[in-house]
Amino acid sequence: MTIFTIDEVKKTFTNGEVEEQVLKGVNLALQEGEVTALVGASGSGKSTILTIAAGLQRATEGDILFEGKSLTKMSQEQIRKIRASEFGFVFQSAHLVPFLTVEEQLLLMLNVSESKMKKREQKEEVEKILKLVEMNHRKDAYPASLSGGEKQRVAIARAIIHKPKMLFADEPTASLDSKRSKDVMTLIRDLTKTLNITTLMVTHDEEMLPYADHIITMRDGLIV
Amino acid sequence: MTIAWKEMKKSKTKFVILGSIIFLVSFLTFIISGLSNGLSQDNAALIKDLPAGQFYMSSDANETYNLSRINETVQKNELKKQKDATAFSIQMGFVNDAGDKQHSVAFVTSTDSKLFEKVGQGEVVLDRSLEEEGIKVGDTLTNNQFSGEFKVKGFVDQKKYSHAPVAYVNVENYKEIYRVNEMQLLFIPGQAKAQAITGLQSFSNKQFLNAIPSYNAEQMSLNMIVWFLVVISGMLFAIFFYMMNVQKIGLYGILKAIGVKTSSLFVMMWSQMLFITVIALGLSIALSQGFTMIAPKGMPFSLTVETTLQLSVIFIIIGFLGATLSGLQIKKVEPLQAIQQGEV
Ligand SMILES: Nc1ncnc2c1ncn2[C@@H]1O[C@H](COP(=O)(O)OP(=O)(O)OP(=O)(O)O)[C@@H](O)[C@H]1O
Ligand SMILES: [Mg+2]
Repeated sequence: MTIFTIDEVKKTFTNGEVEEQVLKGVNLALQEGEVTALVGASGSGKSTILTIAAGLQRATEGDILFEGKSLTKMSQEQIRKIRASEFGFVFQSAHLVPFLTVEEQLLLMLNVSESKMKKREQKEEVEKILKLVEMNHRKDAYPASLSGGEKQRVAIARAIIHKPKMLFADEPTASLDSKRSKDVMTLIRDLTKTLNITTLMVTHDEEMLPYADHIITMRDGLIV
Repeated sequence: MTIAWKEMKKSKTKFVILGSIIFLVSFLTFIISGLSNGLSQDNAALIKDLPAGQFYMSSDANETYNLSRINETVQKNELKKQKDATAFSIQMGFVNDAGDKQHSVAFVTSTDSKLFEKVGQGEVVLDRSLEEEGIKVGDTLTNNQFSGEFKVKGFVDQKKYSHAPVAYVNVENYKEIYRVNEMQLLFIPGQAKAQAITGLQSFSNKQFLNAIPSYNAEQMSLNMIVWFLVVISGMLFAIFFYMMNVQKIGLYGILKAIGVKTSSLFVMMWSQMLFITVIALGLSIALSQGFTMIAPKGMPFSLTVETTLQLSVIFIIIGFLGATLSGLQIKKVEPLQAIQQGEV
């Protein structure tokens, strides 16, 4: 079943006088519970389409449909609500909140998604997720003291703790070694399968492709 | 919201630095306004301490009280009509102490009134500052225009005119020193609206103060100093809170990206701003009030708690505006854009 549709999305960046069309009409349909991998040369527009899909920036033209509702027609506040409770996002670099401990990051995410859980249940949920990403022993650490791979695992935990319907991940394994990359991919795959999360993921790494149900290639702002 | 607090706890240094700047700037403003207020008090406490009412000087005096002569019959009539009314005169002059040391004073004389000191002939009541110059009760003072001697009867606090201590003398002695018979001024306290008195021109307290040439010019400079200081330090506050938040735009981008409400971001900015400002201003108020107590006696310094509170409220409002302005900026920007701006 199609849960997410990208329809003729275009994006033009204006830098002073120069206009650059980065996306030239991207079409994509994502099936519920499946992992879709986006590949393509650097600068082909992968991150751009991913962030537009996740409501982190707006398209210049075209439409984004999530469960039949058009994101492009929503107000900032409506999109925020969807981001908070229905979407999870893993950035190319982790982007954790620097002054919160690992545990606090995840509790904040639960709060933001207006989780109905009680305080104690929230803590249990955080512990469960941290065990999944093997970070429970570092739950009181601040991001600055984590390694790149550890940060990324916390970022993944943050992206799924509120059980979103959609997971967007921009090269989640870029800062990891081969072994850790495979662990993280297995994790994403297992989590999304058990929680029935639909995933759109950008990757450079050939080795990650076996974990995807579909592979989509982008070139110069178009899907080929 | 607790994230505001957690951030301050984690980046203590940053917030302490910001707080100390707010503290220093507000402390500077308080001290300067205290000094300026003190100078203004030093210049005209005698007049400023009078209750609201109406001053009258002769119409032909050109609004210069020094040239004013109140007609004696008019004076008699008015004093009879208004029971609190008083006629008084001020002239700058000197007294010499027993060691023949000269002290400059403002001679003040008046008809019977509870607003002015009552002194008998050959007596003088002085401003307290002369006590610090070594004059004691019972000392005798002389003046080269005066045939007799003045015996110091007592001291009063904070009675200054034109930066000189006031010397209250009897009308008869005053007449001898300055060889005049008429009083310069008529004052009717409690009179909100001036009445028309033939040959006299009326002034409210404020108008009268402004009619004193030295006071008017000095006051303009002092007000300018304080206002510039308030405006510039206010702008500094606003810019500081603005910069603090704009510099954190990457962080706000992350918070926006995970779906934190914009209102929560505003609450975060406001509460941090309030927390820092209130502590810094509290410290400033305490220290400047402490300074009021330890300030050297001769230094004109007058800073009331009301003035500091008024200034504090202005600063808080301005800080609030600065924080709000940056909040609006952050509200407008798309999460990704904010994160990217934070990265450079
Ligand atoms: N905010 C922006 N302003 C101007 N140009 C931008 C902006 N963001 C991206 N671009 C441009 O859009 C193009 C596509 O960028 P994008 O980040 O989507 O590429 P990508 O496929 O993710 O590349 P990579 O694999 O290197 O991450 C690039 O040429 C980039 O310079
Ligand atoms: Mg990219």
